[in-house]
Amino acid sequence: MTAVAETGTPPEQPDDGRVGISIDGRELRVPKGTLVLDAATEAGIHIPIYCAHPKMDPVAVCRMCLVNIEKFPKPQPACATVAGDGMVVRTNIPEVTKIREGMLEFLLLNHPLDCPVCDRGGECDLQDFTFRYGPGISRFPITEKVHFKKAVPLSEHIELDQERCILCWRCVRYYDEITGEKEIVLQQRGVDTLVSTFDDRQLQSKFQGNLPEVCPVGALTHRKYRFVSRPWDLQRTASVCPECSYGCNINADSRDFEVRRFASRDNPLVDDMWLCDRGRYSFDRWNTSERVRRPVVRSDDESRDVTVAEAITQAARRLREIAEEYGAASIGVLGSSASTNEELFLLERLARQVIGTPHVDHQLEPFDGISAAEHELGIAEIEECDTLIVLGADPEEQAPVLTLRLYKAERKKGARVIRLSSDATAADAAIAASGATRIGLIADETNRAHAAAVATALGAVGSVRRLTITRGINGRGAKDLGLLPNVGPAYAALAEPGKNGRQILEGLASGTMRGLLMLGPNPALEAESELLERAVRKAACVVAFDTRPGIVSRYATVLIPGHAVFEKAGSVTNVEGRVQRIRAGLPPASATPVETRVLTTLAGLMGAVGWGSGDPLAVNRLLRDESPAYGRAGNGGRALFTAEAVA
Amino acid sequence: MIKEIAKGLAFTLKKMGTHPITVQYPEEQKPVSPRHRGRHILHRYDNGLERCIGCELCAAACPVGCIYVLAAENDPKAPISPGERYAERYEINLMRCIYCGYCAEACPTEAITLGPRFEMADYRRERTVVTKAELLESWPGFAQGQRPPSPVGAGADQTGREDLDPGVRPRAAWAAQENTLDHQTAPHPGDLGVPVDVPTVIEPGAGKTK
Repeated sequence: MTAVAETGTPPEQPDDGRVGISIDGRELRVPKGTLVLDAATEAGIHIPIYCAHPKMDPVAVCRMCLVNIEKFPKPQPACATVAGDGMVVRTNIPEVTKIREGMLEFLLLNHPLDCPVCDRGGECDLQDFTFRYGPGISRFPITEKVHFKKAVPLSEHIELDQERCILCWRCVRYYDEITGEKEIVLQQRGVDTLVSTFDDRQLQSKFQGNLPEVCPVGALTHRKYRFVSRPWDLQRTASVCPECSYGCNINADSRDFEVRRFASRDNPLVDDMWLCDRGRYSFDRWNTSERVRRPVVRSDDESRDVTVAEAITQAARRLREIAEEYGAASIGVLGSSASTNEELFLLERLARQVIGTPHVDHQLEPFDGISAAEHELGIAEIEECDTLIVLGADPEEQAPVLTLRLYKAERKKGARVIRLSSDATAADAAIAASGATRIGLIADETNRAHAAAVATALGAVGSVRRLTITRGINGRGAKDLGLLPNVGPAYAALAEPGKNGRQILEGLASGTMRGLLMLGPNPALEAESELLERAVRKAACVVAFDTRPGIVSRYATVLIPGHAVFEKAGSVTNVEGRVQRIRAGLPPASATPVETRVLTTLAGLMGAVGWGSGDPLAVNRLLRDESPAYGRAGNGGRALFTAEAVA
Repeated sequence: MIKEIAKGLAFTLKKMGTHPITVQYPEEQKPVSPRHRGRHILHRYDNGLERCIGCELCAAACPVGCIYVLAAENDPKAPISPGERYAERYEINLMRCIYCGYCAEACPTEAITLGPRFEMADYRRERTVVTKAELLESWPGFAQGQRPPSPVGAGADQTGREDLDPGVRPRAAWAAQENTLDHQTAPHPGDLGVPVDVPTVIEPGAGKTK
């Protein structure tokens, strides 16, 4: 170490806004204002922390990160000390070892040591650091521990074990700094201090599910994950939360082929490591045993289980028959906002290029005058705006994690967040935003037309960038890829717009249209089950992919089992156009090949050439070649279609 | 030469009067060592509560991964084990088990030990995956009818197994052996350095029985 320090000392550096610091003999230059803790992490030196959190301000209450710094009379907390030029930090000397052993002995004084029954056991910082830095023994008799209440329900989602708490304040600060809701407090003093809610009220927040992840020990745990599994039993699948279009990164943790929890996966550009409760606790939905498991072919009143190959052959034959008899325009094609980009890309090509029908959509409502400008503002770019206007309550209801980003912009960057009613006039919005220069306008997609009018009015005040909250995990992808009646891929205007989703279903119900090819499950159709039932019963041919039994699976003439989100690979596009991968973590409910393969085979039988194998990755390459915006976005980047972005 | 023959015959004549050491297995069986590592036993406390808390440390320690544990939360009014957590399912794949005893070593509550039984052969593979009902020690404290008493005693509870194969019955010789082992030498709370009166989470029920 010392040899490195002596030989590796860099010569005098010019003032580049960086400071030179030595940690355990390792010399490095870090930007001014960097904390010693972060500098150590950069140097690859581990400093144990409990109260410090990458997303929160330092408080230095746990004293676990104390390090020796030359010329300081006492040990300093690395998490709250700013690196200075020429600072010499030591973490590997006996003094620091002794401090850590002492701190851990203190933290474990009244800790119940019930790791075998603790949900956190196996991924607990207290456990890990005790093994790594602890003294190995306690001088405190186990019989004299002070006991607190165990298993206190704080809400329907969160359980608090007051004994296990080490008083790091992370949960209190989470509510102060991240959500601004201030629901958890520290009560009492000294050894009796405990985390609790004021007046024992239940937690109200929409973001409680982050507490167990913020907690470094097992004090705050999920009630839905209580004693469900051990962390080492879980199979992690990096994926994207399927609950809304915001695209929060998650780990879908499964055991025994069932999803047991969603854990956050930090992506500073999207979720900033926070999830909402609606998304986090929706995992149970994917464990249902009610699934479509076999391909079915129906003719008149006969229904029989068939092989996939036969189902695809029948689908191709029947669609061709309809097209020959009544014309290709009598076939409607419905995508879904719950499908992957690869599936939607193939479906759009199949519809417009192979079948040759203009009637393509992925939802029911008409989308007139859609433009790429309404999706232009990025999620992380919200922090760059000085004024943020939210039209109505819908955006934050649809994508709850947006609220946390708005609060961050407000708290850290001093932005003004103005929440207007969804029908606030353009003039009102302009008055509210007066004095602003960089305006971010956030609206829901059901309120698009009005938001466009407001944006025009705000344009007189300052520069306006818009973010429109789409519906469904991949609602944005469906629009980008042209699953709309009036625009093609990349929002290219079409000479002859086709019918929208509602018109297709009504056409089928009234008999003016004959065939339907649909990719399911389609959340947009759930509210219109009556119209859907009339349509699919009247239609001469319904080729449908679906995952769950329902109207579609009951009446489809050719039914092909679909794959749920965690059963297939692919990519989905979030509300700001970020293309993110999803991966297969659960075994599929049926032996049917994935949708991309089935669609490719179907297209091949209907005369398409050169579509490749249909493997999701191969389709993804095809998609990237075809769509320049998706080619540029790659994996994790944003697909942008505005003129400036393309230029 | 004659001397050697005489010596050999003398030994034979001497042994003619003693009992043969050959045991007519399976009609007759010899007791195994108390430290024998045979089929696992899940133990109970004196008050009948299960020792196992479903912590899965046995499954984590198992080098072959033959143990499956699914934990659940105790109903405080009718607890199955002391504390918050119990094992709802506990299965051991005996075909895969190598009887190393790491599970017993890892167990924080002395809930699992390896018992004297060694006859694990079966005609059906699925029956070699033994469930909690088969592994669990029966408890003489239960009232008649609450739970059928095991025909042979601890570690050989065949509850729910009779209908699988009526032929599977532990032999009478085993009954005596297992009863001796488990009621006299099996660990009790308080033995093995586990303090009984400590109100830890792991054993609050154990204190009440004293």
